Amino acid sequence: MTLTISLPGRRDERGGRVSPRRAFWRGVGRVLRRKRGRVVGVAILALFAAMATVGPLLYPANLPRDDNALYAAPSLAHPFGTDFEGTDVLALVVTGARYVILTGLATAIITVALGTTLGLLAGLHRGRWDTVLMRITDLQLTIPGLPLLLVLSTVWKFESPLEMGLVLGLLGWGGVARAVRSQTLSLRERGFVEAARGLGLSSTHIVGRELLPSMAPYIAMNVLIAVTGAIYAQVGLFFLGVLPFESNNWGVMLNLAVFGGGALTTPAALPYLLAPLLAILLLTLGIVLVVDAMDEIFNPRLRED
Amino acid sequence: MKRLAAIVAAVALATSACGASDVDSADAGGIYTTIDGAKQIDATAPINPFNPAGSTFMGYDAMALAWPKNGLTDANAFYPGIAASWTATPDQGEVVIHLQPKARWSDGKPVTSEDVRTSIGLAYTQGGSAYTVNAGAAGAAADIQVLDGKTIKITQGANRSNAFLRNVLSTVVVPAHVYGSLLPPGFWETLRAARGSGPAAEKAKGQITGLAQRVIAFAPREDVSAGPFVLERINPGAALLKKNPYFYDAARIQPDRVKVLNYTGNEQIWNYLVSGKLDSAPFTAVPAAVMSRIKQTPGNEIRKGYSPVAASLAFNQARKPYDNVHVRRALAYLIDRAQVTRVASPEAGTPAVTTSGIHASAAAAWLGGGGLAALEPYKVDAAKADRELKAAGMVKRAGTWRMPDGSPWKVSIHVPASFSDWVAAAKSITSQLNDHGISASVVTSADYILYLDELAAGRYDMGFWLMGLGPSPYNIFQRLYGSANGWQLLAGRLTHVPPGQQGNWMGGPETVAGVNPGELTNRLNLATPEEQKRIVGTLAKLTNEQLPVIQLYDYVNTQFVNTSRYTGWPAADSEVLRLPAGVWMQLGMIKKK
Repeated sequence: MTLTISLPGRRDERGGRVSPRRAFWRGVGRVLRRKRGRVVGVAILALFAAMATVGPLLYPANLPRDDNALYAAPSLAHPFGTDFEGTDVLALVVTGARYVILTGLATAIITVALGTTLGLLAGLHRGRWDTVLMRITDLQLTIPGLPLLLVLSTVWKFESPLEMGLVLGLLGWGGVARAVRSQTLSLRERGFVEAARGLGLSSTHIVGRELLPSMAPYIAMNVLIAVTGAIYAQVGLFFLGVLPFESNNWGVMLNLAVFGGGALTTPAALPYLLAPLLAILLLTLGIVLVVDAMDEIFNPRLRED
Repeated sequence: MKRLAAIVAAVALATSACGASDVDSADAGGIYTTIDGAKQIDATAPINPFNPAGSTFMGYDAMALAWPKNGLTDANAFYPGIAASWTATPDQGEVVIHLQPKARWSDGKPVTSEDVRTSIGLAYTQGGSAYTVNAGAAGAAADIQVLDGKTIKITQGANRSNAFLRNVLSTVVVPAHVYGSLLPPGFWETLRAARGSGPAAEKAKGQITGLAQRVIAFAPREDVSAGPFVLERINPGAALLKKNPYFYDAARIQPDRVKVLNYTGNEQIWNYLVSGKLDSAPFTAVPAAVMSRIKQTPGNEIRKGYSPVAASLAFNQARKPYDNVHVRRALAYLIDRAQVTRVASPEAGTPAVTTSGIHASAAAAWLGGGGLAALEPYKVDAAKADRELKAAGMVKRAGTWRMPDGSPWKVSIHVPASFSDWVAAAKSITSQLNDHGISASVVTSADYILYLDELAAGRYDMGFWLMGLGPSPYNIFQRLYGSANGWQLLAGRLTHVPPGQQGNWMGGPETVAGVNPGELTNRLNLATPEEQKRIVGTLAKLTNEQLPVIQLYDYVNTQFVNTSRYTGWPAADSEVLRLPAGVWMQLGMIKKK
């Protein structure tokens, strides 16, 4: 059994017993502190989570505009300048974070839930289950995501981030399912699983208590990677102009900066282009740094203490 | 020293090699570089002007009988093309075309009346305008008669239209010795049969329209042009045309070659202009900052002129609350058109002075200063808007306007995503409406074709719409009181179909206070100039009162020229600005510096 964080019986500095949960979080704290970048990553993710939850509450429903400051240069009042209508670009980025992050989370949950479930089922039961589920997975992997999304966008407006996340999730679970199946096939031959089976423990126990914890690092990392993938995909679709218009959507901002403001031709609309790009870059950086920390938290071989 | 000599020799060789390969630029007239505003280059498309993506370029190697001036009011003013001159009877029943006596194809053969007759035959397979096989259609040609090698007479059918001359002169001429085989033996007899009625006529119509695809797909091995240039080669990046030595007025043509660059979007054209690559570029939407950057490039100059097009916000009057004129007026009072124009099209648009259905410049010519001033200007006035909304029964609760029954009122403005100026304009309008307590949002469609399909299917409450497409007054008002608003002209009979059927998405009433605007619009086709003026006045007033659309901004034809290599450019406001640069050359403009 390779459950990574189970430290029962550990004692704190004063010799008292420490609960496994507390020991886990202490371990997490240690891993994060070991590299400063990981703390920065957590801070970035916290910042974006705050933007998504309370960001829109910081601004009025209809963002204020300055009719005389179209594409204004960055200033103290407008750190990233203004857009074609004189709206503060920073306000657009902050209020637009909710759609982007919600879509990312919805995609990640669907991708990982579907991929893990099907991969586990296929790997555990093998035989016909494996054949059928893997053929379905292969079929899903052959679906060209972008062309399908372009076609879907003509009939589906994706007004809610959950709709967008659902489609991206349904298009992205195949890789996870394949990898989880491989891991399951490997783990099911290990001694601790054999022992659990020999003890007559139920499949639910074997999956929930023996297999899943061993795959937790991989699954957790996939959640975060799926978030970045979903962000790129939806921003790309909005950039192409095939999804509904929301002036604070980061992809729409990129589209309008390039095609409406000429940001690649003149510097006037450059801040309008750079602000959403910077947001995407920061969010990706935060995720990469946190994935690095998670790798060490869940993988005992990488742990340095 | 040896190494130096070797380097010098290599450089000399390289230089001479460059000189050999760059022989084009050494030509006396130089290479004129431009883009085709009408289409992007498809190197695989046939060299065929009937193909919408064809590798031919109007004004350069594709020639019409004549080139329309598209003035403010006169739809029948043309510059000569393959036709040196023409005469028409007052009712345009007969049009006689006299071809350029020296006109020859690029293979040396003369351009004859038979070429024009073949071109007309091919145009019939494509349908529309003067060459339609629909019996009774207004303005259809009934007979084509070759009078001599350089003269041809075209007779209009019984159902006359004053657009006949215009449509005939717009005929694109192709060589009979290349395209003639596309018309099967007995084609003209079949055409005559198609103009009748009954099963035989229907069968004949089917035979003619059945040729359409064959004509479009026809791919001549090489370009045979009667224009000033002929296609030399084409690749996905550019088309190169060389001077046609047989062009009837070859002495007027200065550039030895024309290079037509391809583009994938406006931003690529902006970059061409910023780098000074283009000698001229037709109308291109340009943001203010990019315009200022383009102006900084040495030699670049802007030529602005009249463009008979305007952008509007059109209503689907079959949907509530837009069936109520008070709601439409309220929205007109709330939209700051100057601000919309500043946001959307600062360089290529002027705010509409009011909604008349006509571009402001043409409106002044049609209605006169007094007539235009008599129209309600719909200046921004929130108090008037409130009064209109109350008159429509709308209610305001907690600062938000609602439907008369208290249910939410959500305004959705539809635009195609690829039209960046429309997207910006729609966003500006929704911001203004939201400021006034009207919940409004922009909804984009993936592309223009899909947008038009959904619009025609009546799926939108409101959408952006091109209007004022002059100079023909019929074309202008047909955009408002034509098939999009229920009036169908079939076999010479005008009918009105109910909203939601056969493309009637505007859903306006058939008559307003006893006036049938569709009927009046149709009459513009037949009316004398005096009567046209009276009808235009009536329709402008009706449009101003009823607001089937809110006119937002009138387009300005903003073109670019570079004076570094050539001179003799058209002046600002010149009529030729509405024509391709190839026609400028035909008219003796564009001289090598």
